[in-house]
Amino acid sequence: MRAVYGIVAREFLRFLRQRGRVLASIGRPFVWLVFAGAGFAAVFAGRNEIDYRVYMAPGLLGMVVMFGSLLSALSTVTDREAGVLRMMLVAPIRRGAVALGKALGATLLGTAQALVVAGLLLPLVQLRPTLAGMLLGLVAVVLSGLALGALGVVLAASIRSIENFAGVMNFVIFPMLFLSGALYPVRHLGPALRAVAYANPLAYGVDLLKHALLSAWAGVGYGGELPVPLDCAALAVFAIAGLALAAWLLGREGGVTHTAFRERR
Amino acid sequence: MTAAAILARGLGKDFGALRALDRLDLEVGDGEFFGLLGPNGAGKTTTVHLLATLLAPSRGTARVAGHDVAHEGLAVRRSIGLVFQDTTLDRDLTVAENLRFAARLWSLPGRVARPRIDALLRQFELLERRDDPVRTLSGGMRRAADIARGILHEPRILFLDEPTAGLDPRARRSLWDRIRGLRAASGVTVLLTTHYVEEAEPCDRVAVLDHGRLVALGTPADLKRGAGVGSLEEVFLAHTGRPLAEAEGG
Repeated sequence: MRAVYGIVAREFLRFLRQRGRVLASIGRPFVWLVFAGAGFAAVFAGRNEIDYRVYMAPGLLGMVVMFGSLLSALSTVTDREAGVLRMMLVAPIRRGAVALGKALGATLLGTAQALVVAGLLLPLVQLRPTLAGMLLGLVAVVLSGLALGALGVVLAASIRSIENFAGVMNFVIFPMLFLSGALYPVRHLGPALRAVAYANPLAYGVDLLKHALLSAWAGVGYGGELPVPLDCAALAVFAIAGLALAAWLLGREGGVTHTAFRERR
Repeated sequence: MTAAAILARGLGKDFGALRALDRLDLEVGDGEFFGLLGPNGAGKTTTVHLLATLLAPSRGTARVAGHDVAHEGLAVRRSIGLVFQDTTLDRDLTVAENLRFAARLWSLPGRVARPRIDALLRQFELLERRDDPVRTLSGGMRRAADIARGILHEPRILFLDEPTAGLDPRARRSLWDRIRGLRAASGVTVLLTTHYVEEAEPCDRVAVLDHGRLVALGTPADLKRGAGVGSLEEVFLAHTGRPLAEAEGG
């Protein structure tokens, strides 16, 4: 357990050292709010059911959790290239503990970033959640962080080098974002895309955040679309399955070692 | 005969069609200073990674500190320290942060780790740089910090994989002084891999590897006597028909 704590503590320390990363993670949702928010708000201006910027708030928080968790779990790839991963592998700890430490570190960072952004964003769009809403929002953020952090470790254990990272951005992060309900309700999508959306952990996280923050608009169709227990259960299943898969992938010979231990010839 | 720190029987590893290590029989005594000498690609690093449970053997068995490498990985890793060929330190963290991170990975409680970290930093002349990021350190200092990281948990057996690679002669000399001091103070078993003949000279015994096979084993003096030559360089030549320097990079 001390080892897991050590891995989490290092992730946190590294994050604080990287000032650019801190600023980017806090600034990113506001860039979306201003640029995407302005455009979409104008398109939807005719319908006065909800201010688009308010509608975006849960999705933006989900986005912060996603970037925070995925990117920090993907730091496993840089750890492998820098050799730091080998320090963890030669330590007397199970591979599962490395996966768990990485995923928990990602959860912690994702949650911390989402809380900071929520503190700035919600007053800005004049969204005042109830106490129950805030607690549900915290649950949503932590569960999403775990599910996405575990997914990040799975990706990191599967991709060979940092160069493949652009592929991850294009084919994982952006589709996940657009098919999460962060920018428009999932119910407007066709059946095929809706099916894909429900295979997306972020969709459940954003849905839970809508339950937490947009309950006042549930009557006009902008609240959560799925039952709260289903959202929670889906996120828990993603988190547990992801952690198990991540531990297995890291445990394989070559799972973490293929670049670190390739024979130099 | 002292108890064996390392015992390998028919140990081998293939990478696809490539036979990196054929069938190695090896016994390293407790407290011994043992050298694995051979050109790059001879199977030295593969041997170390097999013994450290980072690779699974393709054939044969090995016991390290009495534990089976295939089935008792955690127990093996608890008994060993390993300094890799390339640094494993986090360049963005400070020297002290790296050592604290390692202490947690090895589950050392803070009250045990703190005085040990201080003592190691003093011993390795890193006290003044303890709060500097590792990326600002010279190669020699980084290596010293790597070794401090490797012995922080006071392992019974220490693997040093090409520890002097990329160091200038002065840093190299000071590294050897440290390893000598360490052995005198703690009696730790050291298994060293190197392709520099002169670094194998002070070893108690040397195993010469070439193309994944053990070609000679003995004390440096015995090896030279057996081959009827005056240096380990010539021992390698006598056993393989090639000079060590030329075999390099092959």
